[in-house]
Amino acid sequence: MRKIIKVNRQLQKNIIGYIFSTPYFLFTIAIWLYPFIWGLIISFKRWNLISPTSTWVGLGNYLEVLQDPILWVIIRNSVYFMIVFVGLTTITSLGVALLINQIPKFKSFFVIGFLLSFVSSGVAYSVVFNILFASDGLINNILNIFGVKVGWFTNPSIAMASIALVVSWKFTGYYALFFLSGLNNIPKAIYEAARIDGANPWQSFFKITVPLLNPTFVMIIVFATITSFNLFAEPYMITGGGPMNATKTMMLEIYNRVFEFLQVGYGSTLAIVSAIITFIFVCIFKKLVERDVYV
Amino acid sequence: MFKSKKNLIIYIVLSIGLFFTSFPYLWMVLSSFKVSAEIVTRFIPTKLTFDNYIFVFSGQQRNFLVGLLNSFIISIIPVISTIFFSLLTAYAFRRIKIWGYRFFENFVIYQILFPQVLFLVPLFLVMRNLGQVNTYGGMTIRYLISPWAIFIYSQFFKTVPEALLESARIDGASELQIIFRIMLPLSATTTAIVALFTFMARWSEFLWPMIICKDYAKMPLTVLLALFTKGDLFGAYFGPQIAGATLLSLPIIILFIVFRKYFEKGITFTGLKG
Repeated sequence: MRKIIKVNRQLQKNIIGYIFSTPYFLFTIAIWLYPFIWGLIISFKRWNLISPTSTWVGLGNYLEVLQDPILWVIIRNSVYFMIVFVGLTTITSLGVALLINQIPKFKSFFVIGFLLSFVSSGVAYSVVFNILFASDGLINNILNIFGVKVGWFTNPSIAMASIALVVSWKFTGYYALFFLSGLNNIPKAIYEAARIDGANPWQSFFKITVPLLNPTFVMIIVFATITSFNLFAEPYMITGGGPMNATKTMMLEIYNRVFEFLQVGYGSTLAIVSAIITFIFVCIFKKLVERDVYV
Repeated sequence: MFKSKKNLIIYIVLSIGLFFTSFPYLWMVLSSFKVSAEIVTRFIPTKLTFDNYIFVFSGQQRNFLVGLLNSFIISIIPVISTIFFSLLTAYAFRRIKIWGYRFFENFVIYQILFPQVLFLVPLFLVMRNLGQVNTYGGMTIRYLISPWAIFIYSQFFKTVPEALLESARIDGASELQIIFRIMLPLSATTTAIVALFTFMARWSEFLWPMIICKDYAKMPLTVLLALFTKGDLFGAYFGPQIAGATLLSLPIIILFIVFRKYFEKGITFTGLKG
């Protein structure tokens, strides 16, 4: 008898729980599972978004994507972006974190100050940087004093690096925060022991700090990989993918193909290929960088 | 305060860094009040003008005030809805522990990590079939529930002692009352984090609203400003463009400065978002 009451109570709780989570389940089916499957199906079709009929092309879209030279241009641009972005943010945010870690006062003032750039909207700061770094903009006017003029967004060989510079500006404070919490997790006793053993500050930085910050480095590199393939607002606003496709990103190409040329099947295939490439890159970089660290 | 010379140098270096971080903002706010000739030539304006703002506020078709209002609408709807449904779902998973809750909790994490790029095209087709092109619904429906919010609510719910809920049940509280009278006030910090990050993400969002909304009267400011800047008509109107960028940035910066503690906590708490 008691057991039946217990089972009943269990059942009643579950019914209430399932009622509470029903909106989430329905939402996931309608906005997540259903579009996901639909996207897979479209990638095997040729369709122009408007006509009521579409034709099956099997793996045709996939073959077309892999043979399209633009794919390799995009991968090259993305890797270029990753290298510059990871390099710049590591230097700036680790630098900021190391400095903030040493000061006795105003720590949170500086943390908040450096986070300011993180909250800005991509469209807003793209407008600002586009005008600031224009060929006759304020930055070039200042550089002109020294007789230098840089085609930040117009020179194909540095345009992507300039975009990476803008994105690094955004993320410096954000990653400084992660480096700061990484630094706080390193016990002071290790530095003390190293000092007694005769290590100089450089040695303790490269032999203690850098290896123990490995998880933060891994996170930044994984994030840079995902960002580089999803980059949209900055290249769309500033360069439009040019000059000569130098800043064309995966997201930009998907947008152009689907919503300007109405190649829905091709665009969907590109999205899937993009997800797979990102996944492969993340795995490779994790393998290369990730180390087991114990404190 | 400056115990040693070393500390002084560190403060100076950090201040220079801070100057570079805030320079684009300073330049933006100053330039929005400049006459067009001084935008690229001078940092400090010689005279102030409101012409840029008057221009973007008086547009017949492209009115930035309307854009601001639209941005607010499509940001606040997901905030309220996400908090409500994520509370319910996280409570069902983590505290009621419905059958299969472990699987569902893992599924939520996979959802967060899943590449968003795969949904762009098919979600557009879903919204088009539902007749949601050019509507607020089209821009917000996909954000009504957030797996990320469910995840951080259930992280918090883990820490609430069961005895507290049990005593409420003995006092005759229903599960719904427990959620909204006990769990919601207890998770005020988590709720603030969810609200701020959801609002910020939706306010700054660009690609999705641009795809789904072609109607100037419904566009959020991000899309309105982007089309204004990229279009042939106003491509060289730097003053109004910068005024638009200022309007787009300031609300989120004010929000950030007022609730800075929650932002900092939210970032270190949850790590990578989305």
